Amino acid sequence: MDAETRRRQLAAALRRVAGGDRAALRLVYDETAAKLFGVSLRILNDRSEAEDVLQEVYLNVWRKAAGFDESRASPITWLVAIARNRAIDRVRSGGVARLSAPIEAADDVPDPAPIAAETLESAQENRRLYSCLEELEIRQSAAIRAAFMDGLTYEDLAERAGVPLGTMKSWIRRGLAKLRACLER
Amino acid sequence: MSDTGKKDREGMGLTAAEYVLGVLGADQRRTAERRIARDAAFAREVAFWEERLGGLVSAVPAVAPPQRLWSRIEAALGRGGQENRAGLWQSLSFWRFLALGASALAASCLAALIYIGAVATPGVPLVARLDAERGQAGFVAAVNTGGGSLTIVPAALLGAEQKSLELWLIPPGDKPHSLGLIDPDRPVTIKVPKDLLSQVNNEAVLAVSLEPQGGSPTGQPTGPVIANGKLAQL
Repeated sequence: MDAETRRRQLAAALRRVAGGDRAALRLVYDETAAKLFGVSLRILNDRSEAEDVLQEVYLNVWRKAAGFDESRASPITWLVAIARNRAIDRVRSGGVARLSAPIEAADDVPDPAPIAAETLESAQENRRLYSCLEELEIRQSAAIRAAFMDGLTYEDLAERAGVPLGTMKSWIRRGLAKLRACLER
Repeated sequence: MSDTGKKDREGMGLTAAEYVLGVLGADQRRTAERRIARDAAFAREVAFWEERLGGLVSAVPAVAPPQRLWSRIEAALGRGGQENRAGLWQSLSFWRFLALGASALAASCLAALIYIGAVATPGVPLVARLDAERGQAGFVAAVNTGGGSLTIVPAALLGAEQKSLELWLIPPGDKPHSLGLIDPDRPVTIKVPKDLLSQVNNEAVLAVSLEPQGGSPTGQPTGPVIANGKLAQL
């Protein structure tokens, strides 16, 4: 199944969820739970916390599916945003012990092969994002990726990279400005 | 555009990007979320970054959640369903209480009530409790299936400020259809367009979105949905 078909099916399922259809919620769950669990687990580093977040996410989807607007967001983007926000809020509330050891030196993160393995996201949009990230300085793009995937604050990122807070803020802010300019070209 | 305007716009875009990226602290996140609800331009910036940066999750491996998780969700849905029904009955008794003529109520509410009283007799009326965030009732709506109109009453102050609130009918498997603008401060009776009459049934959902003044420019919700709920038979 191609990404566009899957996107349409997921959007249709979400509309049915908005109408109170539980079978449709199960469809959405089957299609997306592994991805959202992976995303939450990466941020929370704790399976039971990630399970709690996932439960909150799908209950939220059940109640708020009417708020999903296909013309503004793709279904997977909408779902990922809910999961990331829940996971990040849980971390920020201080209840979760974060992994204190630095994961990898940001510069050593191998370039992921994002396109082949994924059918949920639009491959074309992704190619654009990754080619724009390549135009940034390595430390800028590494910091942006780490921030997004691990849900870290400026302070966490600075500590992990061993640089002053102001330096980390400047890497990310300049990186974001360049990224925006590239994405809009 | 002036330099200041450009700077403001860039600052707004940066804050939106930082919010989506996840680098803000808890307080800054709450501030950003409040801004999403009342500032359409900021909400669009957030949507832009969510759509673009969202692609980064392709680098995060999927992990199968344990089998029991779906059962947990289903069990929670069951409880939620009970709670919703209880909430609905609460609001129905609220209506009945009003209908008995509680004198302390605002005259506008009473007027709405008399209207509801009139429509409740002939058929089985449809009602909906439109929940806002955290499950509080944002609005209560009652439909006159015979007359093709519905009355919607704010149950809580929502603080819409310089925005318009637009009411949507969402039939199952369909896009939202606008029923028009409503008032955050007083009951409004809305005539349902003829072509939507058949869709006003207990399969449909009512939702209220925050829109630019005068309503959605696109015919579809453009702002956040601040309250929604399913129609149910009384």
